[in-house]
Amino acid sequence: MAQFPLAVNVQGDYGYKVIVVEDDNTIEEVIQVAVDQIVGVLVAPFPADVTLRARVHGAKQPLDNNLTVSDAGFIQMEALQIYAEG
Amino acid sequence: MALLQMDDWYDLARDTNWTPSYVTEDELYPAPLADSHGIPVEAWETFDEPYKSTYRDYVKAQRDKDVGAYSVKAALARAEFFKNASPHWKALLALHFSAVCWAEFHSASAFARMTRFSRSPGMRNMATMGTLDEIRHGQIQIYFAYEFLKHDAVFDWCHKSSKTENWIIISLRHALDDIAHTRDSNSAAIMLNMGLELAFTNLQFVALSADAAKCGDHSFATMLQSIQSDEARHAQIGEPIVRIMVENGKKEEAQQLVEIAFWRMWKQFSALSGIGMDYYTPLEHRENSLKDFMEEWVIGQFGRTMEALGLDLPWYWDILKEDISSFHHANQIGVYVYRATEWWRPIACTSPAEREWLEEKYPGWNETYGKCWDVIANNIRNGDFEKTTPVAPPLICNMCGLEVVGKAGEDWHPVDHHVDIDDRRYHFCSEPCKWIFELEPERYKGHASIIDRVFDGTIGPDPDDFYNYMGQSPAERGTDGYEYRWVDGYDQDQEEEKRYATG
Repeated sequence: MAQFPLAVNVQGDYGYKVIVVEDDNTIEEVIQVAVDQIVGVLVAPFPADVTLRARVHGAKQPLDNNLTVSDAGFIQMEALQIYAEG
Repeated sequence: MALLQMDDWYDLARDTNWTPSYVTEDELYPAPLADSHGIPVEAWETFDEPYKSTYRDYVKAQRDKDVGAYSVKAALARAEFFKNASPHWKALLALHFSAVCWAEFHSASAFARMTRFSRSPGMRNMATMGTLDEIRHGQIQIYFAYEFLKHDAVFDWCHKSSKTENWIIISLRHALDDIAHTRDSNSAAIMLNMGLELAFTNLQFVALSADAAKCGDHSFATMLQSIQSDEARHAQIGEPIVRIMVENGKKEEAQQLVEIAFWRMWKQFSALSGIGMDYYTPLEHRENSLKDFMEEWVIGQFGRTMEALGLDLPWYWDILKEDISSFHHANQIGVYVYRATEWWRPIACTSPAEREWLEEKYPGWNETYGKCWDVIANNIRNGDFEKTTPVAPPLICNMCGLEVVGKAGEDWHPVDHHVDIDDRRYHFCSEPCKWIFELEPERYKGHASIIDRVFDGTIGPDPDDFYNYMGQSPAERGTDGYEYRWVDGYDQDQEEEKRYATG
């Protein structure tokens, strides 16, 4: 288990932020870390029924929420977009 | 005895090139400092400056300017303008003086290298005066700023900032080092004089001086005018060099130098002057937006200058046209929420009336960047002050050193460009920033942004380590210049809405 910095841009925010997660964190946990730090600070809370997903910057497909950071093959400071599905 | 007119003797008197006999040409003009770009010296000798001046005339003019500026300052010293100025204007003054004094003073070094290593006698003459100009600009501005120190310790940073590793200073220093201080004299002249002064600062000083006069800051206005007239003269150095390069088959090289310098300076101008124009200028004195300024004076006038010199418009011109409506708005949010990392007292400038102005100038502002400000304002109104600063630091561009930002709110559009080298990811805020990096990765790849320095261990893990590294004691960490009173208008608006609703 090691710390792993990622760049995240939560839907609605003006730019990318850097968060630090563990490399055995799942994508779902990464989303939660990003939400905890940005939502309510720069972005209004999402409606309760919204599902948040993550995708690599520029990718069309979301990442599997159960995938771990190390299994995803990210480079340190990989850029991820966090967005509301649908 | 009648004196000859300057036109009768100037060209002959300034023709001071000679053939060295004790050293070789290459020793006298080493390529790293005096790259001739493969153009023969005879061609460089055709340099013809559009604005000619003699040393005698120069000294007289400068003396008159100094007398004018210092007299106004002395006459107004007791007017206590600063004490009564709004936090808007105080923030603008603090930002201007702490970013500009040292940058101008350091420019003297770039002009001195042009003076020593240029192959063109006319350029050496112009650059000699440019060197003296920049020393004067550093000194007069730091002297004018010094007056404010007794009112506000923030102005200590007018002298201190360049010696720190503060993230905004790193950003500006990296850009200026790149274009002015680490290039041969011809390249530096094109990049500094055309890419910065002709494109931006010459005209910006006219606009800022006019704003200062409107705000009643006549001391600042007079000082800026005295500087601008110098800039207008020495900024002319770049044009004849570009013309010589184009005429001698080096258009591509000249084009690239202008494109690199212009983009690097645009990013600085956008973040510093863009915020100054669209946010820090008091609303009652705000007329033209950054977008208005850029469209008329830079995209229009500077673009025409480039074409008149035989250059093409930069390949990223369409990107620039988009950027003038977005980059600085996003950066103003960052400058405000990360205010503790800045030395002055940042202000939000998003009261309801100011938002109306922003919406008028930038249709859609409320639905995009305004959405982030809604959240910030609500947190302040609810007393959740801790929530007005994100825990997560911003991602910093590995070229311009500013935040990697996109469109916010309803029209959310994340922006990021990257390059991977040796398992390190380099992020960029724009395609041109990435393009500049990729032109010379060896030149740029060793530089670490302030965020890179956090993660590579250069900066310690404690929050205080970060501020100490940037030279900021607890008293030197920015706080809201209005102490959050700017949200009062939101409550008034709501009260009015309630009144109307209840009849």
